[in-house]
Order: sequence, then C-alpha cells, then structure tokens
Amino acid sequence: MDVIEQVAGSVTILEPRGRIDSVTAKEFAECFSKHLHAGHNQLVIDLHSITYISSAGFRQLLIAKRSTQDKNGKLALCGISGEVKRLFDIGAFSELLPIYPTREAGIAGVQ
Amino acid sequence: MSALLDDKVAIAQGGEPQRPRSGNPVRSFLRRAYSAPILPPTAKKPSSLIYGADDRPNILIALSNGVQHVGLISINLVYPLLICRAVDAPIPLVADLLSVGMIVLSIGTLIQVLRLGPIGSGYMLPSTFTASYFAPGLIAARVGGLPLVFGMTIFAGALEALVAPMLNRLRKFLPVEVSGLVIFMLGIAGLAGLRTLLGPTATPVSSAEWLVGAITLGSMTALNVWGKGLPRMLCALIGITMGYVVATAAGLLNPALWALVDQANWLGTPHFAHVGWSFNATLVAPFAIASLAAAMKAAGTLTICEKMNDATWARPDMRSIARGVLSDGLATMIAGLAGTAGGVNTSTPSAGLASATGVASRNIAVVAAAIFFLLGFCPKLTALLAIMPRAVVVSALMYAVTFIMINGLQIMMSRMLDARRTFVLGFGILGGIAMEVFPKSVNLMPSDIAAVAGSSLVASTAIALLLNLVFRIGVRKNATLSVAREQIDPQKIENFFFEQGKAWGARQDVTNRASFGVVQLVEAIAETCWQTGKMIVRASFDEYRMDVAITYHGKRLEFPEERPSIEQIRDLEEGERLLAGFMLRRNADRVRSELKDGKCTLHFHYDH
Repeated sequence: MDVIEQVAGSVTILEPRGRIDSVTAKEFAECFSKHLHAGHNQLVIDLHSITYISSAGFRQLLIAKRSTQDKNGKLALCGISGEVKRLFDIGAFSELLPIYPTREAGIAGVQ
Repeated sequence: MSALLDDKVAIAQGGEPQRPRSGNPVRSFLRRAYSAPILPPTAKKPSSLIYGADDRPNILIALSNGVQHVGLISINLVYPLLICRAVDAPIPLVADLLSVGMIVLSIGTLIQVLRLGPIGSGYMLPSTFTASYFAPGLIAARVGGLPLVFGMTIFAGALEALVAPMLNRLRKFLPVEVSGLVIFMLGIAGLAGLRTLLGPTATPVSSAEWLVGAITLGSMTALNVWGKGLPRMLCALIGITMGYVVATAAGLLNPALWALVDQANWLGTPHFAHVGWSFNATLVAPFAIASLAAAMKAAGTLTICEKMNDATWARPDMRSIARGVLSDGLATMIAGLAGTAGGVNTSTPSAGLASATGVASRNIAVVAAAIFFLLGFCPKLTALLAIMPRAVVVSALMYAVTFIMINGLQIMMSRMLDARRTFVLGFGILGGIAMEVFPKSVNLMPSDIAAVAGSSLVASTAIALLLNLVFRIGVRKNATLSVAREQIDPQKIENFFFEQGKAWGARQDVTNRASFGVVQLVEAIAETCWQTGKMIVRASFDEYRMDVAITYHGKRLEFPEERPSIEQIRDLEEGERLLAGFMLRRNADRVRSELKDGKCTLHFHYDH
C-alpha cells in the first residue's frame, strides 16, 4: 500500500491508496506513528483512494485517534464515500471518528 | 385541521406533549394517528434535511411549501381532463369532475399522512393523478363511457389495496425490470391514446395550434433546463399559463368558452349527478396492470421517503410500505366512487421536491391537502382548466410522459441485463410497439377483446410477465471457489464475485456486500479459527437472493449482536476479530453457522 504524504502549513495529510487490511494496516500504522513521533500532531487522513477497509483497518484508525489525543494533537478523516462509507456505517464508526466531508474541511478541523 | 396543527406546535415547543383532554373520540383518534412518530428510534435525520417527517415547521414554511407541492402536482390534472375529452364531455361536467378530483387528492393525501389503523405511511407524500390509469382509462371511456371509467377505477384501487401486504412476495412475478417496462409502456400507451385528439378522425391541427404547442412545451422545457428556484419548480404550471395566453391571442379560445368561465362562481359545491358505475370483465387486464404499476411506483416513492428521512436507512421497511400502498389503493377507490376520471398515486415529483428543499414534514402534506380541498370548491378555476386548448393539453401530456418513459428506462437499466432479461424486456417492448404500429393485427379477435388485447400496455406486459415466468427455469446459479490457506489473495476473491455477479445479473451493491463478507471473513479467521486445509466458498444466486456458504476446518467465528467497545477493539487482540464478526453480521441479511466433525460452515444470506 502506498501512502502519499503532503503538508499544508502545520497540517500533515496522509493519503493511503488501495486496501487497508490486516497486512497493510500495520504499514499504515508505522507511517502514522512516524509522523506523530516527529511532532506532527495535526493530521488528516484522506481515504478517497481507499477501495477496501477491514476490521484491522478500523482498529488502526481507533489507535491513531487515541495516539493523537495522547500527543495533544488533532486527527481528521475525509474522502469517505461509496463502499468505504458503507463499511464505516455497518461498523458504526461514522459517529466515533472525526469525519469531515472534504480535505479542506478536515484541515480546518485540526487547526 | 387547524386544531391538529395547533397541537403539533404545542408538541414541538413543549417536548413531551400535554395533550388537552378531548371529549370527542374521533378527534382523539385523529390526533393520535397524526402525532405518533413514524421513524424507528434508531433513525437519524440526515444533515441535508431541515424538517424531517416528524418535525413541525412554522405555518409560513408549511404554507409556502404546500403551495409549491400543489403547483407541482397540478400538471397531472391533464389525465382526467384528457379522459373527459375522449368522451366529448361538456365543459360544465369536466369542471365538476376536476373539482371532485381535487377533493379526492385532498382525501388521498390525508389518509396517507394520518395513519388510521393499518392505513397510511405517515410520510409527506401528496396524492396526484397518475399516468398509470390514463391509457386504461381512455380504453374504458371509449368502451363504456365515464361510468365504466369510474367502476374500473374502483376495481383497480381495490386490487392495489389487496396486493399491498403481499408486495414482497409478488416480486418473483413482477421483478423490478418488468415494472420499469410497465412504466415505460404506460408512457407510450398514454401518448398513443392521443389518437382521439390528434388522429385521422380528429380536427386537423392548425398552424396556430402548432405555435401554441411549441411555445407551451418549449417554455416548460426551457424553464426546467435553464431555470432556477421557483420558476424551475413550477415550470409546467408556467408553461400551461403561457399556453393559455398565446392560445387566447391566437383566437383558439373563443369568447363562448371564456363566457363559461365568466359564468362559473368563485365558490360552489361540485355536482355528483354524473356519477354512476359499471364493470366490464374484458377491461380487467389493463386496469390490473395499471394497479400493479401504481403499487410498485408507490412502493418506490415510499422507499425514497424512508431514505430521505433516515441517514441510517439500510433497506425498505415493508410494513410501512404496505401501509402506504394500502392507503394509495383506497385513495384510488375513493376516486372511482366519487366519480373522477382516473386513479391516483403517490407523487414522486413531490418526494423529489421535499428532498431538494429539505422540507419533508407531514404538516406540508396537510397544507397541500387543505389547498386542494379549497380549490375543489372553486368552480371558476376548474372551468378554466376544463377549457384548456388542445395544443396546451397535448403539450402538457408530452411533458409529463417524457419523465414517465425515462423513469421507466432508468428502472429497466438499473439491472444488469443478461440474456433472459434482454429477451423479457426486448420482446415486451417489441410486442407493445407492434400493437400500436400494426393495430390491424388484432382484427381477427372479437371487437371487445381486441380493444383490450390490442393495447400496447397489455400486450407488452403480458409478454414480459409470461417470459419472466418461463425464464425462471434454471435460474438458480451456483459457483464455487477454493482458497488455499497459504495463498490467500483478496483480489482473486473479489474478481470471483465480480465476474459471477456480472454473469448472473446481480446488483452491484449485493455483489459488493457478498465479496466484502468473504474477504473480511478470510482475514478474520486466517490466524485463529481456520486451522488447516482449503476453504470452500459456494455462492448461489437467483433473482431474489444471493447465498454464500463458506466451509473450512477449524473453529466458529463469533457474530456478536453488539459492537465490541472501543477499548476492546483497540486494546485487545480478539477485539479486531469480534469487530469483524459484528460487521459481517450487519453486512448480511441473515447469518448462520454450524460446526460438524471439526468442519465449520458459515452461511451468509443477502436479499436481492
């Protein structure tokens, strides 16, 4: 799985591409931790290039949320639509995770 | 009705309502019927919706939205108007029929919104005259005059009410694509029914009429395409008004016709002297088809309302839909009993308007019903509608029919069209159009039967229903996939479902759910539950269900009803697996597991 990393001012945007399953969730978690430990604690995860996310992926998102809070940071998710949105709904995560409709709204949300 | 609205305001402002005690049991019953929430407790209002079905906007918002809905629905008054024209009904009689029609729309809207016993969905869904009964109505008018139209309308309404609780079971016999075909052919048959106005025996169309027709249809279309806000929403009404203006200027509305409007009172009670009923068994087929089409369309519109009001909506609530369709059938029965030309149906454009404005409160429907009721007592208005020039009425019909035909096409194309469906729809359309192009082909039949069997609507529906039944032979399809524990490839599993789904003509969303179910399952059990050997995935499909059975050697996977806590998911190893089980349970319509001789089989059922 590729993760595109971008910076917009003080905000770091991570855009994973492809699938987040039990294998790739660990790769993504490592990438996320790297940024958090580097002091980037305003983070946006843009999921618009994700085609599949499993329970392992959701677990990593919950861990990411908690880790960011531990670092007094803020996390936003955006780009959730179609099949991925359906998976968020059946896992009842739409209310648990800070989801924004667009990347711009996500950036504004963590600043 | 104002008392009802006042009570609603009190409820909205005061939380738990302190209902005033009423000694009148009818009022108490109506109040309870109106105020009980219709959405399930788990429902969540979508952010795009300002006023949901259970919300109470202030009277100004209710009034302005109610007027918009009345404007939107009014275009469909052309259907009873055209049926009256088919029997050359005198203008005062046409005006009476339209007055009665408006009162029927009011009653139909109220019984849909009130929920009296098992009747009514409670959603903001006004009644409107419908194209479904237009073509059969024209046949009935030609065969037996208005009494036959009224009698057969009662029959059609009763049939719709009767099938309302059985809609789910009837899906096998009237699948989605065939209902799309019926709707498409209703448009074709409706247009073909204009022969009485435009055919070889009718007065030739003058150049002035061509001009009026072009301006009427052109302005409706232009406003719809390029207009914004209220003009776009009321484009049909504005187009008709322009048609009247140009027709008057062109001399198509002579002073004698205007005198009829002048003589009509602003206020008056409609007459019912024209009402009488008759029945003709040879017309059962077209009216039964129209009735089923109306039921299917009402079910579709009610589904739109459910989705619009609940962000967590997953699938249609068939109990609510049955109540709504029952109410729709009763409204059509009332239309026949009261003596108006043609049945009614839930207004799909109104559901669209509610979605566009974000105002879907039941109060809006009550206001629309009140406006229609008042208009029913305004003979001057109905006289004005009754003298509508031929060029305007034909343009209005063409405008309405365009949407009906495209709606039918969209419904047909929403399915993956395999060879079976291609022939069901293709032969159905061919058969229907052949009846219109080669009407003499039914000359060998007795004239009564030919009038019905020669209808494009009946012919195409009969062909499609028959072929649908025949093609059910061998319709259940099976496919098997073997997955080795050492070579798990999610892409291979997804490709398997995609290819099979395509070959079977399964809906994309159902294929996606089944595919996700297996990929997520494999991921969840690979490390812990699946101990050895190959996993066998057996998928089977027919029109109404997709079943996936997965067999492997190992332990069962749990499917918890409640989602594990955040802490469980995040902090425990088994949290991820429990979450997977929870998601798999929610992903399927039914889940079952069995363990025998160390072999576990999980069954996932998906409604289609």
